[in-house]
Amino acid sequence: MSQQDKKVESKESKLVRRNFLKMLGIGTACAGALVGTGSLVAKAQGTESATAVPPPKIPDYDWNKHKWAFGVDATRCIGCLRCVEACKAENGVTQDAHHFRTWVERYVYLEGEERAHVDSQSDAQNIAASGSEKEFRFDNRYKDAKVEKAFFVPKLCNHCTHPACVQVCPTGATYQTKDGVVLIDHSYCIGCQYCVQACPYGVREFNHVMGVTDKCTWCYHRITKGLQPACVEVCPVEARVFGDRNDPQSPISAFLRNNRVSVLKPETGNAPNVFYVGIDKEVS
Amino acid sequence: MPKHIVRLFLLVAVLAVAALTAKQFFTDRSYYAYGHYRGDSVAEIASDIPRFRGNEYCKSCHARQYAAWSESLHNNPAAGKHVKCEVCHGPVGQHPSRERAPLSLDERIALGGKAQAPAPGDTTAEGKLPVPKDRTKCIQCHEAMPGRPAAQRQVVLAAHAGTEQCTACHDPHSPKINFAALAPPPKGDAVAGKTVAATCAACHGPAGASVNPAWPNLAGQHAGYLINALQAFKSGARANAMMSGMAAGLSDADMKNVAAYFSQESCKTAGGESAKAVLGKARAASCALCHGPAGVGGNPSWPNLAGQNPDYLSDTLKAFQDGTRNHPVMTSVAKTLSASDIDNLTAYYASARCK
Repeated sequence: MSQQDKKVESKESKLVRRNFLKMLGIGTACAGALVGTGSLVAKAQGTESATAVPPPKIPDYDWNKHKWAFGVDATRCIGCLRCVEACKAENGVTQDAHHFRTWVERYVYLEGEERAHVDSQSDAQNIAASGSEKEFRFDNRYKDAKVEKAFFVPKLCNHCTHPACVQVCPTGATYQTKDGVVLIDHSYCIGCQYCVQACPYGVREFNHVMGVTDKCTWCYHRITKGLQPACVEVCPVEARVFGDRNDPQSPISAFLRNNRVSVLKPETGNAPNVFYVGIDKEVS
Repeated sequence: MPKHIVRLFLLVAVLAVAALTAKQFFTDRSYYAYGHYRGDSVAEIASDIPRFRGNEYCKSCHARQYAAWSESLHNNPAAGKHVKCEVCHGPVGQHPSRERAPLSLDERIALGGKAQAPAPGDTTAEGKLPVPKDRTKCIQCHEAMPGRPAAQRQVVLAAHAGTEQCTACHDPHSPKINFAALAPPPKGDAVAGKTVAATCAACHGPAGASVNPAWPNLAGQHAGYLINALQAFKSGARANAMMSGMAAGLSDADMKNVAAYFSQESCKTAGGESAKAVLGKARAASCALCHGPAGVGGNPSWPNLAGQNPDYLSDTLKAFQDGTRNHPVMTSVAKTLSASDIDNLTAYYASARCK
């Protein structure tokens, strides 16, 4: 092959490349326009029907008609921990002393002491008393002590009006429903645990088997069927109250009307929806 | 514009288009339906099947226990107490087992149509719920403890019950011991009773000392217990081929009188093997709370055991064990006894002095 031939060939191939790039450019523009209009159309349709988006397909339930809230009367709690065990059974929470969706704390003020002694059911001595990490009870360590004041405080997710956990979630795996419940979509959770750190109340736990964050849902699968959350269902002394704030006859509406209530850590601005009666300011 | 810059723009454009196209494919269709999350996940979470199913569900089969419970202190809405079935027995879940009572199609649709696999170690998988036997269940709520509100009934265990199980005296479905029913019965006329007792004499002896060791001695027995027993035979609460017929013919006054007659007769100690009696005495601590320290002088509604025929006592305990005789306390107590326990206990009570 001669030198000239080579030159001609390279010129031809350049032409081919140029053509190819041109085609590519045009093709990209077309595809872009197509997708762009497509998404615009989709968006337009979305905004059009934003008000008409039907609520999630839950039988006999419309989340626009409810506004759930929870009450805890610490003056009634007897620390029997039936709620803790019921929650684990109902929701399949890991059966050990390190994973809880709800728990109970014991505050004990001894005579002559300023600060409270605080323990919960996962405390080693209490686990020793129950004899198993699947059952829970408070031991009687203060029975011979000079106790000035003592009380139990059930804790659970506050389902805040302005939830910090939802704000920090990078994938939209945790969100707030229209009826005021903060849920976790396990299939979208990537296990980064930003939410665990963002929650000022420490209510989120990490499920090491599934690699996702977990927390109280107020038993969303129960309340949407007209049932009470499991912990409320088993509480033998009505220390836990649950209901719909839209219904003035509901237990929670009566609870909020008839009691002077407080929330935990109001200064964080999360605006919790679990309301407490009978707790000291030390409880947070 | 230089060519390489144009190419750069083109490349960025291509990547942007590729990313947007990929997003179209990978974003769930329900995402942004309600906000920055997958809208379908709400209904998915709501479709879980509840495991706690409430009292009404239990009531449909366990009506007797439900009735006892609903009248008891464990169901006292006025005081805010609701110790529901599942508080002590745990979640109903799929109990009874799906083989015995599978969910109907409607039921499954109502529950969201999702089958739920039983959790590991779940007793409901076998269709049975736990029946707590030892007192750890009761003390979860009733052990005296700082922090429990004063309104909560609490006991210091060592003082209240020693090492005894709660069910020895309390029926968990109706925990309050009905002391009103245990009040001493109205006194009958022993003289009038003697004529009635003539019909009993063929088996229980003219003065209440039984002619057959399988039948109980009646002499010196609490009148209250005898009346209760006769009434139980008459009403059918207790069944016995002979006694049901005998009691059917007695009026309330007859029962009072004949009970008064036998209770004032002096008893005779039947006697039992002394070696077994020693062992039995050690085991009898749990009986003493109700039947008196040495089998005499307990509550008048409960029988004296001292001096009673050993065969009758062991037959009775076995009847409680196999359910042919029922009593809220004795049924559960008897089930804690082994065959040798029964031998020893009956020998002890048979040889104990009945006065």
